Amino acid sequence: MTPSKTIALSVLGASATILALTATLATAASPAATAIATRHANFKKMGGAMKVLKDQLTSGTIAKPQAVAAARTLAAMGRVQPKLFPAGSGPSSGVKTDALPAIWTDRAAFDGKWKDYTTQADKLLAAANTGDAAPIGAQFKALGGTCGACHKQFRADK
Amino acid sequence: MTTPTTRIWDPTIRLFHWLLVGFLAFSWWTAEHHEMERHRFSGYTILALLLFRVYWGFAGPRTARFSRFVRGPGAVVAYVRDLGSRKAHAADGHNPLGGWSVIAMLLAVGLMVTAGLFASDTDGIESGPLATYITFDQSETASAVHGFVFNIILGLVALHVLAIAFYLLWKQQNLVRPMLTGRRPAQDHETTADLQWSPVRALVGIICAAAIAWAVSRGFHFGAAPTY
Repeated sequence: MTPSKTIALSVLGASATILALTATLATAASPAATAIATRHANFKKMGGAMKVLKDQLTSGTIAKPQAVAAARTLAAMGRVQPKLFPAGSGPSSGVKTDALPAIWTDRAAFDGKWKDYTTQADKLLAAANTGDAAPIGAQFKALGGTCGACHKQFRADK
Repeated sequence: MTTPTTRIWDPTIRLFHWLLVGFLAFSWWTAEHHEMERHRFSGYTILALLLFRVYWGFAGPRTARFSRFVRGPGAVVAYVRDLGSRKAHAADGHNPLGGWSVIAMLLAVGLMVTAGLFASDTDGIESGPLATYITFDQSETASAVHGFVFNIILGLVALHVLAIAFYLLWKQQNLVRPMLTGRRPAQDHETTADLQWSPVRALVGIICAAAIAWAVSRGFHFGAAPTY
């Protein structure tokens, strides 16, 4: 092998390695992107669970197993979601998110909102276990209030 | 010194027009301020207005009837060709192009209301009364349509206002006054018959439209009122 050929080959090999590395970095989601994607999916589950309860309340017939399952999802998310807002997973991450920077500048207040949410979600689960529309309706409203209070302060208004 | 006038808009069509203007604005305002209870009420009112207008398109006086003002391409082209003329255009109600803008407006507002009835916010908290009949995903799609069609309505409103400004400035013809008074100046030797309308028919339409809108607002659930 001539020296020039060796140089050419090694340059080629090095470029390929760099290219492969870049591609890997680009495809492997950053921790921030993973957190954002996970919490979005969870919020969607929460919206779906809220709709299940709302539909039952509107139609006036409570289907207890579905109502309890929905309330369980909502209560469980109150424990999971606050952990999915790591530092750097706001709009500065470059990933599409409605999370406002205030979450990280006022973290104590944000965590407090989640505590309010979880308290009400637990009460909703208790209400769902009665299978009775009146307490479920009252607690649905109370829980919705904690959602709205947090969104007002910490979610971008579209 | 009073110039002779001829009546082109009956009172209910004028009331319909101005109520629609008011409630479209109110819908926008309540949405901006997240006043969803009032936003829904506004939507139901607009639904009743639309239902009445469609009914009136068959049962109303001549200028309200679809069969009269929805014209073929020939009439529309002839009208557009004459647009440049500074002579006033004395239409007996909607002009051939304006007729189509009425159809476009009714379709856009109808789609807006329909999408709103099925829409749900992303939190599953606020929703239209018919969202119970579809999935959360479908409801979110309805929401997206509801948001998008608003732009179409804005575009149609802008066109409408532009056309009125054009008539005022270019043809020196005030189209707003007839929509308030019902009458426009008559042309020399004009023999257009005065507009006949039936208050009884109007009342029947208003009652039916309100009843249907009310049933829709309840999502067709007529049992006990929601417990929350």
